[in-house]
Amino acid sequence: MRIKLYCSLIVFLFFPFLINAQTKISGKIIDSNGNALPGANIYIKDSYDGTTSKTDGTFSFKTMEKGSAVLVASFVGYKKYENNVVLKKEELKIDIVLEEEITQMNAVVVSAGSFEASDEKKGVILKPLDVVTTGATADLYTSLNTLPGAQKIGETEGLFVRGGSAAESKTIIDEMIVQKPFSSSVPDIPSRGRFSPMMFKGTVFSTGGYSAQYGQALSSALILKTQDMPTQTISAINLMVFGLGGAHTQLWENTAVSVEGGYYNLNPYNNVFKQRVDWDKSPVGISGSANFRQKISKNGLLKAFVSYSKSDLSLYLPDLDNLPNKTFYGLKPENYYSNASYRDIWGDWNVFGGFSYSLDKDIINATGNNIEQDQRLVQTKFTANKKIIDNAYLTFGAEILNTLYDDTYNQFNVKLNEAHTAGFVESDIYFTNDLAAKVGVRAEHSKILDKSNFAPRISFAYRLGTYDQLNFAYGRFYQTPEKNYLVQYSKFDYENADHYIANYQYLGEGQTFRVELYYKQYHNLVRGTVYNYPYFNLPVVPFSNDGNGYAKGIDVFWRDSRSLEYCDYWVSYSFIDTKRIFSNYPTTAFPTFAAPHTFSVVFKRWFESISAFAALTYVHASGRPYFNPNNPEFLGDRGSSYDNLSLNISFIAKWFGSYSVIFFSIDNLPGFANVYGYRYSTDGKIVAPVVPPTLRSAFLGVFISIGETNQYQ
Amino acid sequence: MKSVLTFLVVVLCFTSINRADDEKYIAAMKKNLIQMDSMKTVDDMVDLTNAFLRIANAEKDKWLPYYYASQLCVLSSFTDSVKSKKDEYLDEADKYLAIADSLQPNESEIYVLKGFICQARLQVDPMSRYMKYGFQMNENFEKAIALDPTNPRPEYLKGVTLFYTPEQFGGGAKVAKPVLEVALKKFNEFVPKNELMPHWGKQQVEDFLKQIP
Repeated sequence: MRIKLYCSLIVFLFFPFLINAQTKISGKIIDSNGNALPGANIYIKDSYDGTTSKTDGTFSFKTMEKGSAVLVASFVGYKKYENNVVLKKEELKIDIVLEEEITQMNAVVVSAGSFEASDEKKGVILKPLDVVTTGATADLYTSLNTLPGAQKIGETEGLFVRGGSAAESKTIIDEMIVQKPFSSSVPDIPSRGRFSPMMFKGTVFSTGGYSAQYGQALSSALILKTQDMPTQTISAINLMVFGLGGAHTQLWENTAVSVEGGYYNLNPYNNVFKQRVDWDKSPVGISGSANFRQKISKNGLLKAFVSYSKSDLSLYLPDLDNLPNKTFYGLKPENYYSNASYRDIWGDWNVFGGFSYSLDKDIINATGNNIEQDQRLVQTKFTANKKIIDNAYLTFGAEILNTLYDDTYNQFNVKLNEAHTAGFVESDIYFTNDLAAKVGVRAEHSKILDKSNFAPRISFAYRLGTYDQLNFAYGRFYQTPEKNYLVQYSKFDYENADHYIANYQYLGEGQTFRVELYYKQYHNLVRGTVYNYPYFNLPVVPFSNDGNGYAKGIDVFWRDSRSLEYCDYWVSYSFIDTKRIFSNYPTTAFPTFAAPHTFSVVFKRWFESISAFAALTYVHASGRPYFNPNNPEFLGDRGSSYDNLSLNISFIAKWFGSYSVIFFSIDNLPGFANVYGYRYSTDGKIVAPVVPPTLRSAFLGVFISIGETNQYQ
Repeated sequence: MKSVLTFLVVVLCFTSINRADDEKYIAAMKKNLIQMDSMKTVDDMVDLTNAFLRIANAEKDKWLPYYYASQLCVLSSFTDSVKSKKDEYLDEADKYLAIADSLQPNESEIYVLKGFICQARLQVDPMSRYMKYGFQMNENFEKAIALDPTNPRPEYLKGVTLFYTPEQFGGGAKVAKPVLEVALKKFNEFVPKNELMPHWGKQQVEDFLKQIP
């Protein structure tokens, strides 16, 4: 008995050594295309035995395990392979084919028509920092003008994309439409974008074919995402040649509050730089904003943003019909925008809900006429996104926009109430990692038009190699006519456009090349005469939806941040052919807001020894048509070409333990004599060029941060 | 008597199996750790990452194999010259470290590694990642120090970052020197809880200090 027991004890204790017979396992590991996969982990489940595949995909290892076991092969980006094997003494030869895992991470990104700036995503063309350091003005829209597809229109603000007017572009912040991304401006002097580019962590500039999630823009959508939680408690003082400002961010564990305010007065500045404009009152204004962030749960983030600005400016414009008389034009714009949104992950669902309220008010005094224009917008939106099957994601949502227009012209008052409702469904489908599609539809209803629309959108991306891909997109886009038309006539329908886009894109290490062909067909454009400056003095056109047009062209983009040390540059070229009949155009013509050829170069360099960052931006645009009443051909005259070279330099200095930035910029450095177009007197005998308010302009600002903890100490 | 004996034998067997398991785990870990000292290429690193992951998959409740797999991914990210792959390694590093963190919450060494990952992310694109990862890195190092004030590695990595930061941004060898000296002092006093615990950094600190006059 005792012996038996000892025997079994011995057997038990030495059991591992008794079966000390190894099995060799070898083979080759490849992907479904037959390519060797080096670096894969091949092992026996629940043991330490295994190996890594070699450069040629072969592997070989020995195991002490015996009997039935599971052979596992795993490799990043591929589905895990598991196979039952029986381990006897003889060598096992097993060839393994790993199937690629289709995930959003690995898959090709559908990018027809759009430029994206982000730090977080892969396959983006720009970084948020690029947006701030391009052009002379640190303005979001100025830097977007260096991308192909955007037109350089100097006399007015707005995004003019691929033959579209400024009204055909919409700005969207955190999924919510901004009804006026710019303050109103006085004739021929553009205003800046209302929002600081520093606010945003992500920018998608779509020059066409954008997602069904957005609507009401015939040409372009600029989709902005605000920053999430700030990283530190910090204060800032901004001193500029024409104003000053301050900001403070307070950070708690799950909460952050930022406030910002500023004051500017261009009067001293306008006295130094010779003005071609006869200012009565140079622009004076205040602006302020507040941001609130609250982390609700692990993924839940509540954001709220409020911004307010008010300014006052007036000038005298030459009255071409009664020279040397001048007409007075005074403007007091007031803009309020607020937006609150919540984003979270509930189980498998990504959910978003948002609310926004805008109030934009302009008080205009034009030659003694008092005009007050109020525009209020209340928007509510929700979206939900879920992975429905292995390779497909579904997004759907709805929004309601309620707009109230209240215009007073001297004693005469017009009110207009529009309720716009929309819903969309969109699916991202990954057929393979190399072929992806985005298919969506959007339906809208307008109360004021008493009409509905149904807009299909589809885009594809096909990866050719590691770095390059083809994109295709088709979409239909609807837009409700502008208020100026709606107040005059009640039987309008939606305007619409069809976009067809094909592009080739190469996104290599530090180098990007992109060429895009597009064709845009406009239908039901609104026609009719409204007396908005600048209008052409032409026979009155009755109101209708009979307008139409097209735009076709090619956009080319090249960026290289690799070849030259500390340097980064990009080159854009756009060719466009477009014609349209709309507004009070008597015939079909090449519109005033498009130039056949646009070329721009942005060159940036970092100077380490003086810790300075310099950027040169050059833009050339061929001449645009202008209205000459003496020419029987409508818009038959072409202006001269536009050239601009601007420089900006940022010095980074360390004062009192915190970083400060000294920003200097000069616009139109060589002093090109640009003329945007011409204005004629009613009889066509007197002509005046439309020129920038100054030949050159310069800016100097010092941005001091206080209380910044040195990140490395 | 018989039942007592059987019981004893059973207990003995189990403990010996347990001890054998532990010994096997320790031996395998040690073998890999020794190899870590001699690896040179990214291939060596990937090979060792896989070896640690095999142990991790078999053990399931041990955090150190995941920790080392994660650390090796960071080292691969620093070593690989293909820029686009750097973030992919770091995604992997994040994945393994998250598992380690769930198995061993509030571990100073894990926060060191979290900071190390931020440092690697920062280095991929310093200009635009400075804001986000600079702060995250520091936060993690501070947390690591709070959890174990004797841990020399946060100081070591802070010193290295300073060493490579241009002088005009508050870095440079001169600024790095006192931080690295603190690290060295802590390294000399630091006693790892066991032989498998992280012990890296001391040699590198000495090398850095030799470079600084």
